[in-house]
Amino acid sequence: MDLNVIIQLIVSGLALGFVYALVSIEYTIIYNSTGLLNFSHDKFIMIGAYVFAGQFIVSMGVEPWLAVIATILTMFIFGIVVAKGIFNPLRNMTSPIFAVMGTVFLGRILTELARLIWGATPFTVPGFLKGTFQIGEIVVTRVSLIIIVASILILAALQFLLKKTKIGKAMRCVQQNKTAAALMGINVSTNINLTIAISAIICAAIGIMVIPLFTIDLTIASMIGLKGFAAGVIGGFGYLPGAIVGGISIGILENLSTLIIPTLYKDCIAYGLLIIILLIRPSGLLGHKR
Amino acid sequence: MKHKNWNIVKRIGITLFILILCIFPLVDTNSYHHIILNQTLVNVVVVLGLNFITGLTGQMNLGTAGIMAFGAYSSALVSTKLGFPVLVGLLVAIVIGYLLGRVLGFPSLRLKGVYLSLTTIGFSEITRLIITNWTTLTGGTMGLQNIPSISLFGYVLDSSTKVYYFYLFIVIVLCFTASRIIKSKWGRVFKAIRDNIDAVEASGIDVAKTKILAFTLATILGCLGGAMYAHMMNYVNPTTFTQDLSANFLAMMMLGGIGTVPGNIIGSSMVTILPELLRFLENYYWLIFSIIALLFAIFLPNGIVSLFTGDRRLGRFWITKTKKGESSHE
Repeated sequence: MDLNVIIQLIVSGLALGFVYALVSIEYTIIYNSTGLLNFSHDKFIMIGAYVFAGQFIVSMGVEPWLAVIATILTMFIFGIVVAKGIFNPLRNMTSPIFAVMGTVFLGRILTELARLIWGATPFTVPGFLKGTFQIGEIVVTRVSLIIIVASILILAALQFLLKKTKIGKAMRCVQQNKTAAALMGINVSTNINLTIAISAIICAAIGIMVIPLFTIDLTIASMIGLKGFAAGVIGGFGYLPGAIVGGISIGILENLSTLIIPTLYKDCIAYGLLIIILLIRPSGLLGHKR
Repeated sequence: MKHKNWNIVKRIGITLFILILCIFPLVDTNSYHHIILNQTLVNVVVVLGLNFITGLTGQMNLGTAGIMAFGAYSSALVSTKLGFPVLVGLLVAIVIGYLLGRVLGFPSLRLKGVYLSLTTIGFSEITRLIITNWTTLTGGTMGLQNIPSISLFGYVLDSSTKVYYFYLFIVIVLCFTASRIIKSKWGRVFKAIRDNIDAVEASGIDVAKTKILAFTLATILGCLGGAMYAHMMNYVNPTTFTQDLSANFLAMMMLGGIGTVPGNIIGSSMVTILPELLRFLENYYWLIFSIIALLFAIFLPNGIVSLFTGDRRLGRFWITKTKKGESSHE
């Protein structure tokens, strides 16, 4: 086997791996602070991509860097609205089933809205993050590099937020014990709204970054959304470093698997891993016990 | 005394309802209506199954589409490629459903938490990928054509009216079985797991085994429903079995009423027949339907049935979880 081919596969797998890692972080922070799995998270990513590409770039013709900022602001507001209108009420329900159904139907509503506003025809943003460059024998696409760099920046920023700032510390308090957090004068609901808004921002970032990889349509994020779920379990459910490890290992393994199995079936790798991990090591690769 | 009278009223009501369902196709001979009714009956079968694991036991199954696809394709393949009678196909679907329940339930239900939702979603996606891409076996996106209709000992059910009576019979049997199961020891344990898992464990009941049992019931009925669907349509196609379908089954279960057989029937009929009545909304149909479903999840989580039984106390969203000592600032 040619070593260069393997390295090439690892590099492109790494970029997708970071995408999965971000996806799994984005839903893990919501899960940690509300106890709800956001089953509409792939629709959040889809909305992010549509707001950026459909609204700002194609309809309004804004410069890309400005569009990125505008999308992030829009998604922040979107996150707050969804949190106030849907997640906070659902969090207080007696049974988590209703909450899960709530998020499933929220996803449907978002898909329908996107279809009605921007149309169902798939489209692309021509020339956005296109191009490649070479390091030795290995060809790296520009988008892979940008995904890796941006993901590391997002992860660092999130880490800084959670560890160093007052808001982030409050978020971690809310994750651990809502009663105690409330007694210490933290406004639990506002804090959760903020967490969901941050999650929505990460979704927007993912949505923008995957535009060059896929065509923009209503199911742009279904696959990465599902693999993000798998990544979370593989690394260790509800544990942020686990999410990163899980995401990257899925991304790389999936790409390497194309050496052995037909490319069509590479999407099955993530779920196969998920079931194997549940059977032999339910606490995940990092073995973190919550 | 009052209780006894109520029972008699209920029995008369059920008998009347069944009679109306029997007579209906004779009065309304529109065969398109019959197809929709058949579809409703198939959906009732699947939702009855889903009710065991999600409605009663409270474990989220988001892979109903994949389970149904497995049933549909296995029965269709057994009867087309291997040439067995359709009834054998239905039996194979039931066996496959049993195996699926064990194989998927074991890794995900041993553990506490949300793992079932994740495995079932993954399973559903894998199934869809395989039936889309394994062209030599499943026909790929072209689907499987010319699936034979059901024949009962030489009597072929070739029109939708004949199929309707056969399916109606199956559904009535299953509804009675399901409502007996709900009232039996199994049903009580299922509900107890949903309401207080620690208490169930403390009573010395094997929670994992019970959850797997509930899930197996769901997969068996799901596969049976899939097979019934395949032989009713005489054609299956991978694009039917998407995540949207799974969400639809959840909607059926929830709109009618979680955990009750009448609720399941009402919900399935609503979700299947409503699109036909709401044709005038055209483009906006799914949007409005999803909004209705979301509002139901928030305001009437126990479904339409709860309007009659008065069991509405569960989950009004302004009642906070004071049990867990969480204070709210609203």
